[in-house]
Order: sequence, then C-alpha cells, then structure tokens
Amino acid sequence: MSTDPTTEATPLDAQIDTVQTEIDTAPLTSADEAEAFRIRFLGRKSGAITDLFAQMGAAPPEQRRALGQRLNALKARAQDRIDSAQAALAASGPSAATDLDLTLPGRVPAPLEPGTLHPLTQTLQAIEGIFRGFGFSIAHGPEIEDDWHNFTALNFGPEHPARDMQDTFFLEPPPPEGRGVVLRTHTSPVQIRVLEGQKPPVRIIAPGRVFRNEAISYKSYCLFHQVEGLVVDEGVTFADLKAMLHTFARAFFGGDVTMRFRPSFFPFTEPSAEVDIWWADETKPGGGQWMEILGCGMVDPNVLDNVGIDSERYTGYAFGMGVERMAMLRHDISDIRLFYENDVRFLRQF
Amino acid sequence: MNISFNWLRDYVETDLSAEALGDLLTMSGLELEGIETLGPDLDGIVVGHVLDTRKHPNADRLTLCTVDLGGEEPVQIVCGAPNVAAGQKVPVATNGTTLMLPSRDEPGERVAVKIKRSKIRGEESNGMICAEDELGLGDDHDGILVLKEHAPVGQPFATYLADEGLATNDAVLDLAITPNRPDATSHIGVARDVAALTNRSLIRPEVAIPEVGGAATEQASVTIDVPDECPRFVGMIVRGVTVGESPAWLKERLNAIGLRPISNVVDVTNFVMMETGQPLHAYDLDKLADAALYVRKSQQGERFTTLDGKQRALPEGTVMVADGDGYIGIAGVMGGAESEVSDTTTNVFIEGAYWDPVTIRRAAKALGMQTDASYRFERGVDPTGQPYAVARAAHLVADLGGGTLVPGRIDAHPKPHEPITLTIRPSRVATILGTEVPDEDIARLLRAIGFTAERAESRTMDAFAEEVMRAERLVPAAEEAVEAGLAVTVPPFRPDIEREIDVIEEIARLWGYDQIPDPATTPIPLIPAGDTPEAAVLDQLRARLVGLGFRELYTNSLVPTATAEQFTVAELTDQALQGVETLNPISQDMAAMRPSLLPGLLGAMAYNQARGAEALRVVELGHVYGRAHDPQAPVEGYHEHTSLILGLSGPAQRQGWDTDARDADIFDLKGALMHVLDALGLPEIVEVPPTEPGALTAYRLVLEVQGQHLGILARVSDALMDQYDLQAPVYFAELDADLLASLARREGPTRYSPISRFPAVERDLAVVVADAQPVGPMLATIRQTAGPLLQDVRVFDLYRGDRIEGGHKSVAFALRFAADRTLRDEEVDGRIRKVMKVLEREHNARLRS
Repeated sequence: MSTDPTTEATPLDAQIDTVQTEIDTAPLTSADEAEAFRIRFLGRKSGAITDLFAQMGAAPPEQRRALGQRLNALKARAQDRIDSAQAALAASGPSAATDLDLTLPGRVPAPLEPGTLHPLTQTLQAIEGIFRGFGFSIAHGPEIEDDWHNFTALNFGPEHPARDMQDTFFLEPPPPEGRGVVLRTHTSPVQIRVLEGQKPPVRIIAPGRVFRNEAISYKSYCLFHQVEGLVVDEGVTFADLKAMLHTFARAFFGGDVTMRFRPSFFPFTEPSAEVDIWWADETKPGGGQWMEILGCGMVDPNVLDNVGIDSERYTGYAFGMGVERMAMLRHDISDIRLFYENDVRFLRQF
Repeated sequence: MNISFNWLRDYVETDLSAEALGDLLTMSGLELEGIETLGPDLDGIVVGHVLDTRKHPNADRLTLCTVDLGGEEPVQIVCGAPNVAAGQKVPVATNGTTLMLPSRDEPGERVAVKIKRSKIRGEESNGMICAEDELGLGDDHDGILVLKEHAPVGQPFATYLADEGLATNDAVLDLAITPNRPDATSHIGVARDVAALTNRSLIRPEVAIPEVGGAATEQASVTIDVPDECPRFVGMIVRGVTVGESPAWLKERLNAIGLRPISNVVDVTNFVMMETGQPLHAYDLDKLADAALYVRKSQQGERFTTLDGKQRALPEGTVMVADGDGYIGIAGVMGGAESEVSDTTTNVFIEGAYWDPVTIRRAAKALGMQTDASYRFERGVDPTGQPYAVARAAHLVADLGGGTLVPGRIDAHPKPHEPITLTIRPSRVATILGTEVPDEDIARLLRAIGFTAERAESRTMDAFAEEVMRAERLVPAAEEAVEAGLAVTVPPFRPDIEREIDVIEEIARLWGYDQIPDPATTPIPLIPAGDTPEAAVLDQLRARLVGLGFRELYTNSLVPTATAEQFTVAELTDQALQGVETLNPISQDMAAMRPSLLPGLLGAMAYNQARGAEALRVVELGHVYGRAHDPQAPVEGYHEHTSLILGLSGPAQRQGWDTDARDADIFDLKGALMHVLDALGLPEIVEVPPTEPGALTAYRLVLEVQGQHLGILARVSDALMDQYDLQAPVYFAELDADLLASLARREGPTRYSPISRFPAVERDLAVVVADAQPVGPMLATIRQTAGPLLQDVRVFDLYRGDRIEGGHKSVAFALRFAADRTLRDEEVDGRIRKVMKVLEREHNARLRS
C-alpha cells in the first residue's frame, strides 16, 4: 500500500483553505476596504498569500508543485476580487469615497527613522544664524520680479551688456516691448524692495530662490538659492564690508580662513569684489585652490538715488552668496543636481 | 579673452612668469580663468654634432651616424633623412624622450612615440635626429633640421632656441573681462594694467598716422547719414597689395589666441583688433561701387548676405555700411560677402569706425550674432583710437602685401569725443574705502592708467553757490567747497567711467583691496534683529515635521507645461489660476511654473520607490505660482505663495518584537498634519468633504479656517499613481503656508493661565448613528455644546457589526471636564444630557444601550 505523496493533504492545504474562505468573505465595499484587503492578502511584506508562498519551501519537495498551483490560483482569486471590487468602486464614482469617513480623527504615526532638514535648509539656517548674531534682520521678496526691481533700479542700464551676465527667464518681454517680468536672477531685488520701504539704518539679509537660464550640469542648475546682504547707514565703508565677511567666513567654515578680495564688477555695487577662500586639497598642485564664495561691494550711489536715499550722506555695502555653493563646500558635494534629486539615501546623510 | 603672454610682452617688459602675471591681474580686476601652455615639449632634445656618417649595411636609404651629444662617448644613431651629413649640428631626441610624431595614418594627428635604444635592421640606434615637423616646430619634413654651426653640443635644444630668439613656447591667459572693462579687450589694454601694476612703461608701437585729407580722400569717400549712431568713420587705402599667406610671426600670434589665419590682409585687421581693441574691416576697394561709402539705416524687409555666406533678414533701422550700389556691411557686426578681400584683391580700403554701443548691441541681439567686433563695439571702444588702429593696419598690410599706402586719411567725424573731467575728493575716497590713500598715490595710480590728475583749487564762492542751488542741499556741498580735490580727466578708452565713484573703484583696485585693513570693530545700528514672524512659524513647522520622521525635499519650480495644466485644478486649491510659462524655456520639460508642489512630490516619491525605498515621509515648503489679478501683488498680474506639502507612503509601523507591521493610510497623514497644526495654535480648522470628484485624488478632505481655504488632505488617485509609476498608495496634504503662517502669527508672548488644582471628571458617551454620518461634525457639535468646562474630547471606539442594527455604527467619545473648582456630578451629567440632546437633534444619534 502506498500513498501518492503528491495528492496527500498537507498542513499547508488546511491553511490555504482558511485563507480562501477569508478571501471569499472579506468585505470589499469601499476603497479603504479594498486597500485593507490588498494589504492583508497580497501585501509584499506580510500578506497572507505571500506568507503561504514563503512556507512552501518547508513542504516536501514532491508536494511543492501541487501547492504552488493551488497558491497561484489563490492569488489569482484574490486579485480578481480586488480588481472587480475596484472596478465597481470606480464605476460608482464619488459615492465610494464617502464610505470612508475622513472626518475621523487622525493618528500620529511614530517616526520610523529620524527626519531630516534638507542640506540647503541646514546651510541656509547656519548662514542666517551667523548674520542674526551680527544684528541682521531677515527680509523676503517675490520670485517673480519686474524689470525695475531685478535690473533697472539696480543700475543695470536698459541696454547695458551687464544684462547678459545673468541668463534670464522672461515671463514678459523686456522693455521697451514689454514689462520685463522675469524669474528673479538674484536676490538683489530684495535690496530695492527693502529700501523702498525703510529708511537707513538698514541691516538685512534676504535668502531665497533664484533662476538662471543655463544648461543643467554637475555645476549649474536652472535654479539655486542665494543669501543677499545689505547694510546702509552713515559711515559704512569697504573696510567694514571686508571685516564682516571675513568674520562670517571664520564663523561658517570654522577657524582660520584665508580669504582674498578680487576686484570685480556688478552694476549695483562700486567698488565691487568677488571673494575667494583658500580650499586646502592635497591632490591639487600648490596644495589647494581658491574657491569663489560670494560677490560683494559698496552700494552704487545710483541705487540709493533710485530709492530716494541721499547717497552723499549714506553709504552701504551689499553681498550675495550661493547657498548651494556653500553647502557643496561644507559637505564636500561635487554635483549640484543631488540637491534636487531628493534621493533619501542622500538626504538621510544630513 | 585670450591673451598671449609672448604677444603681451611686446608692449610691456616684465620679469614675471605667466602664472604670476595671471595672479597679479586677478587681484586687480582681470580674473584669470585658466592658463594654457602652447608649443612643443622639447624635454630630452639636445644639440648633437654629427661626427661621421656611413651607409647602413642592410638598408639603402638609412645612414649610420656617429653623433656627439656632449657625453663621454659619441653614440650611433640610425637616420633616414637624405640631408644628414658629417659636421652638422642637429637636434637629437635622446633615449627616453617622448615625441609627438605626425601620424602616418591620420594626417594632422600626432601620436606619442617613446625613443629608446633599439636595433634598426641589425644596427644599434641611440636616439633620433629630428626634422622640424617631428619637433612640432613646423610642417617641414624634407629632412632633418640643421642648426647653426655655433650651436653648443649637448645644450638643451629649448635653450638653444631661446638663445637664438626663437622662443617656441607661449602661455595663453584666459581672462574674464567684466562689462566695465572694454579697455581690457586687447593686448595693449591688458599691458597697460600690467605696466601700471608693475611700475613699467607701456610700449605702444610707433605708427605714422597720415593726416586727414590727401590722396586718400580723392580715391574714396565716406558719407554718414546717422551721426548719432556713427560718430566717427576713418578709412585708409593701400594699393598694389598681393593677398597671400601671412608670415609665420603673424600666424603664430593669431593661432596662439585661437584665431584661424586666413590671409595677410584679413589677419592684419584681426591682429590690430586684438592688439588695440579697435575692430577693423578691410574691403576690396575695386568692388566698392563709386568708391563711395555711406552709413545709413536699413529699410523694412531688406536682406543682406554677410561674409559667412548667410543671407540675413535685416531688422528695420539696422545701421549699415553701403556703397554706391547697396549694402556692404552690418555696422559693427559683420562685413558682407561681396566686398570681401579675396585672393585677387589688389587695392584695399581699411575701415575703422566708432559705433554707438547701444546701437550695436541692439543690432547684434536682433540678428542673433555676436562677433569679436560687436563684442567690443557694444562695450565701447576708444572713440579716439580709430586713426591709430587704421594706420597701424594700413602700414602692416603695405609691408606684408608689398603694397603702397595712399597718402592721407578719410576721417568722417561728425561727433567729436568730449573728454570727461571729474573732481575726486580724497575725503570721499576714505569714506568709501575706510582707509586713507595719500593724495600723491591717488594721482600716481590714476596717471598710470592714462588719467591726467591735477590738484584742483578750492572752488570759488560762486561755484559753491551754484552747486548748492543745483544739489538743493547745503551741508555736504559746503564741506566739498572747502576741500581741494583732484581734477582728473578720464582717458577716452574708459567709457565706463563717468562719476567720482567710478574713479574711486579704479583707485581701490590699483591700490589693492588687500591693502585695505579690516577694522577691529564695526558699528551695529541698534534696531532689533530677527526674521518675519511668518518665517519663524514655517521654521517651527519644519522642525516639528522632522521630529515626526519627515524628510525635507527641494524640487524644481519649473515643470512641463502639460504638468502645470494637469495640476492647475480646483481640486488642489480653492481656485485654479491661469498658469505661468516662461518665454524662453531651457527645454519643454521646464517651460512652466509649478501651480502645486504635488508633481514634484510624486516625482520624488516615484524616484525613491524605484530605488527600493518603502517608508517615505516627505515635506516641502516652496513657492507655487499662477496668474491672478491682485493689485496688492508685488508684480501685478502674478500670484505666488508658499505652499506646504506633506507626503506619506509605505509602512506606518514596522514589524517589531511587540508591534505588527501596518501600512500607512490617510489617518496617519491626518494625524501628523493635525499634530503639527495643533502646536501652532491655529483657530478652529473646519473639515469640509468635497462635493465634486477629482481626477488627481481618490478621495480628499478640504480644510478651511475662518472661511478661508487652507488646503486639502487626500489620497492620490489610481490613475495618477499609474502615471507616476508609484508602487504604493501616496497620501498627501497641501496647504497654503502663507495663510497658515499669518493665522499662527502671535502678537506678543503667550500669557500664563493658572493651573487648576481640582481633579478633572471623565465621562464616556457611546452613540449609535447611521453609517453615513461622519464623525467630525459630531465632535464639533460636542465641543460647541459641552461648554467651557470641556477640556478635551476623543473618539475611543468605532464599531459596526452584529451587536447593532444594520446600516448603523456605534461611536464612543471620551469627554473630560475640569474647572477651577470641584465639579459636581450633576453639573457634568447636565452637560452630557445637553450634548446628547443636540447629537440626537443634529445627527440623528441615540444613546447606545
């Protein structure tokens, strides 16, 4: 007498019977129930059918084929039920949604892992914190700007080649054809917005998103973030500007920072400078390289005149730095696109 | 702008290396962006002396040479050149040298070959006697290069060349020229800065400039119809020119800075432009109809073929150069094909003009052309530099092409340049810079870059009075009046300098920014510092969400137009605004401004799900945009506000030793959101189930505060999940963060209220209602009815099933009452009865028995 092992009922068969009954009787009248059903039976982690498949490995090899067929049939049956239920729900339209009482109170989920502020937020907060310590207030402005604030009031003449320094996204054509509405190319228009509403002394920084119509690569993105700084008062000098930025760099990068101020050009500051810091890197000839971190200068008298401030009595300085640039230096990041890819394996590190 | 180091040294002597010079220029406003070394690598090449030659025993064309390389013993070298002979001094690549030899397979290419001791047809060879092309010095491969007899044996070949004045190496400095430095777009311009910075003299080539008039004016004429656009037009004529290849020195200069040599005449015009900064144009005089040139504006609908062979539609009003028949060039941008100098040209007309910068910039923009000429004209060339540059070119053309300069010059000059004089106050220099620069240093620095600087006398009382009248302010002018300043004249090649501050910048950059000391302290105005209260609210919100395990995202503000349209729906906001698109997108994928943070969130979630991430909790705060009529908006016609989005997907809880795995649902998201909003202390949030279905959400709940739309809470629809390839349901909430922040804004700090010392009383209330009755409104009813004693109400049970009638559910509430006194049971019971009565009336509820 021999028993055909392939037809003998196994403990797993009994479980399959139970699950099958459950599948056939589970309620499927709302989207929520459908979702609960899917998770209960077909969930990839802890679904009942998934679980049964996992147990199949423990069954005697000769029975596995038959069990596999039963399980596949079971899975198909569950899938059929959920498909037809969802089709019915979709057909019944919005009333399906009302089955779910969204007005019930929520439940606060426990964190699964620590959350993270984006590295750009962290860098920005570090920058803001340092300048707050020096008595700077924080100002904000719109990202959609007009020609006056983004260019003209900042002493970019209507036909000045300096307008080509910043590749601009236009929403409306530049004057004289249009109003020249743009996505702001820098945070400097906040200087104008602040000075239009506040008399000296002014001491602000203005963080925000800016846009440049440039090809996207590891070193440039179509948008980035800047922190603008503006100080206007009696007796403000270029030496004050140098000292402030030097102190900022020491606070931000820590310890002794070797810094240099190079003459440069921005229409809204004069004299203008670009600031580099020495970045030690033993792989480089010379043991490192100069890295540009910001642009700055004394507020051009035309800018003050444009907002009705006496440029003989008041002087000021302004500076602007790229938050991405600072974050890349700070965290040793070599590709700007990482900031906008939002890969959690990247975000998790900060 | 590429500057050749060798070329630069024609105009200024310097001991500095190219690198040191680059640093010096960087620190004075001409930033070195890169440096490239040109010329062959001659390491390992030495001067050899061929002592003896004999035929190779196994090869007819090869010669065995005994060569003295300056070592102890002469060596044997096999040579294939026909011209090798005993007694010659020759360049020898010694063993171990790598040569870049011309490729046999690909003409024009070079391949690296390492020279080593070897046997050639059975005879030992130690090195290689080189031809010109093998050293990278030229194209000659007719035979080995034979050096001068006195060449020292064993000397490095590079040293020999240098001693002979045949420097082969050059360094090219790539300088970033800012828009305020048109003077630095030439070798002489950069040399002027070098001379000023190193205390040397600028050496400008001496040029005999013909006088206005003379034979030239009889042989050609220039008529300017538009003097504002063309203040000056200079022309000279060279006859009897043979157009041909340029000499090596000229080709070398142009090649070094990346310009392709074309012919002697064209090369000279390019050379002089790069030397002086003045763009020139050479015409074939015989092709100029009537030998007459006219400057005028184009009419509507005209076309013109430029010398690159392209026919171009001319925007109306483009300033053109014409001859008796028609146009021959777009002023300041590019010449025409027809009048171009060709191989058969013998008589050349050289043009050097001053064009109005704005005119040229407009034309170049409208035509979409930027040329070396337009680049310089739109920044402003020296308005007085045309005679020098044209004469320089004319002499060179005559010299190189064997022609004769026609005496005299054509100089149409309707608007002479008027020099600018400014008064520089040393006190103002100190006020701006924060350091004292001595008067004599100011004068010295300015003179070095072409200014004149004289001590100005104190102004007279008349001048003072006039100034006060003009400036309408007394005090500063009075101070100025008593201060003797420095009267300076701005050189014509610095059109960017118009004001005192412009001169102060020149002083600062030449004095050296690093010479300005940092003060030890700096004054701070005594105004309270801080962020806006709204921004502080958003920071707080962000921090709390991070505490719940959310990760902050930054997504692109620019989205495809189709995405913008799809997400511009009333389903997401209370009103769908018209979308905002850019006129000049980078690509169609980034043509519109995002109307919502949802597409970015879905993209980020799909990106991470595709990479194996399951538990996703994300948050973003960013601007969203639309068109709207709002007179209060910073830019009329546009709306933007900060939006807050939360996203949740995957497990809400993982399998643990005493916990079961559970997938997130909408209530996890609602719990997280309400938890953080609760902390902000907002006014009551009203939950409104939507009446209209939407395409983007499977179901959603609208949140309102004080009748204003705050945002929505929803599950992403299946169709949208498919569209984004999402692998698990996504729950999200998008809220108007600006509204949130303004509602949460507090005037002043929280005021303490005393803590009750009396115990609270808790009561449970279980009611049965129809299944369709939402619980939220019942909670609201309880809060409104229970009165001020109610501290808190929770839902602690929800039941559907056998123990209650079909189509109904049981909802159990826990209420907590407290007061600053002992509560009596009857008092609380009374409240409960009242609550029950209203629940019955409003929601058809009955007490569960």
